[in-house]
Amino acid sequence: MSGRILTFNIFRFDPQDAGDKPKMVKYQLEETSGMTVFIALNKLRQEQDPSLQFDFVCRAGICGSCAMVINGFPTLACRTLTAKYPKGEITLMPLPGFELIGDLSVNTGKFMRELAERLKLWLHPKGDDLNIHRLEDPMDPQEAARLYELERCVECGVCVSACATKQMRDTFVGAVGMMKIARFELDSRDGRSADDFYHVIGNQDGVFGCMTLLGCQDNCPKDLPHMQQIAYLRRKMASTLL
Amino acid sequence: MAGKLDIRRWSGVLDLGQSVSGVVLALFLWTHLLLVSSILLGPEAMTWVARNMELAFLSDDGHGYPWVVSLIAIGVAALAAFHVLVAIHKLPLSLRQQKALKSQMQVINHSDTRLWSWQAGTGIVILMLLPVHLWLVGSAPETIGPVGSAQRIWGEYGYLIYLPLLLTVELHAAIGLYRVALKWGAARDLNTRARLRTIKTVLSVLFVGIGLAALLAFIPHTPV
Repeated sequence: MSGRILTFNIFRFDPQDAGDKPKMVKYQLEETSGMTVFIALNKLRQEQDPSLQFDFVCRAGICGSCAMVINGFPTLACRTLTAKYPKGEITLMPLPGFELIGDLSVNTGKFMRELAERLKLWLHPKGDDLNIHRLEDPMDPQEAARLYELERCVECGVCVSACATKQMRDTFVGAVGMMKIARFELDSRDGRSADDFYHVIGNQDGVFGCMTLLGCQDNCPKDLPHMQQIAYLRRKMASTLL
Repeated sequence: MAGKLDIRRWSGVLDLGQSVSGVVLALFLWTHLLLVSSILLGPEAMTWVARNMELAFLSDDGHGYPWVVSLIAIGVAALAAFHVLVAIHKLPLSLRQQKALKSQMQVINHSDTRLWSWQAGTGIVILMLLPVHLWLVGSAPETIGPVGSAQRIWGEYGYLIYLPLLLTVELHAAIGLYRVALKWGAARDLNTRARLRTIKTVLSVLFVGIGLAALLAFIPHTPV
């Protein structure tokens, strides 16, 4: 049984090639059962154009590598079925707001590392007991569940590119930064106070610069509760003003 | 120092100030529109409202104090100026920011971002039209009755300001309140957010409708 013919309009540009210019290139491919955009891209690269650049690792929505803009919505290619598009036309663009490696591949890793270093996104244990052989106290299961909910972020970069505020202001930490801060703010093992977090996100680059456009909330492929989380941080930071 | 207001905390104060001033202005706007729309109940009803706005019940001769209206206009102007000052830095002011916003909105299809661009655009239009309205009313406070208003709106071409002002301000206020609610966590789930968005649209349509009806209701009172 032959499937319908899909048409892909794919952004092509190699910033390493001085003579190259950004362009949209059209490809056609026969759809197969259960095909995802990620599978289609692999087929295109295998059968039609080996120079096509895009990222992937896990193929299961866990690594966050294959995020791109699919018909105007930033999301993961591996979790997007081609059957979702009745017209069979699919336009693929790289995530805006990141350094372009080539075609659909962007350097989210560099961004995430810089963000983690800037916001100090690691546990700052309470007290000065740095004995790594000491057993940790057991965590309240409810607290663990709350932390796990925020730990589900796969750092795909969708929230960053979906955020117009972030696009306008380079230094804005975006939803991913606030989500991770919220994760440590909730962690009873972390010694930082609300005041300490205020110095990191209680400003225009953080929670008070957020214009609540909610591109993060509406596009997050892991359905993380950005709207509630950012509002919680905003109230928490505002309460330190009083 | 914890709890002490230092310069680093200004962004929090500005954000809070933007929300509070926006909510107060929106509530004033809707109250104001409802008071003006008393013309729909007839000229007597509006005259009664206008007299009470001038605090006629406090004066012996029943004429009231029109300067109270001027005072309200000055208060609104001050609050609106504060709102503009604390909100304007969030707009894309540089060419680089405008380009970044434009290219992002071309690539990403997101309705709440488009809603915000409407909020920002209407804000700029209001910034130009509101001072004219406040000046017209504040400088002639004795003319807020049915005949004075009709003369201002239809006799002196005030509708050229009031029609676009009505449309933009009703969009801006409802979108703004919707955003303030989400900003501070009034919606704990996405269903509540969808409901708030519907309420926002209903409020905009309702108040634009009332406003248009009120503007038209002034026509018969225009002095020849």
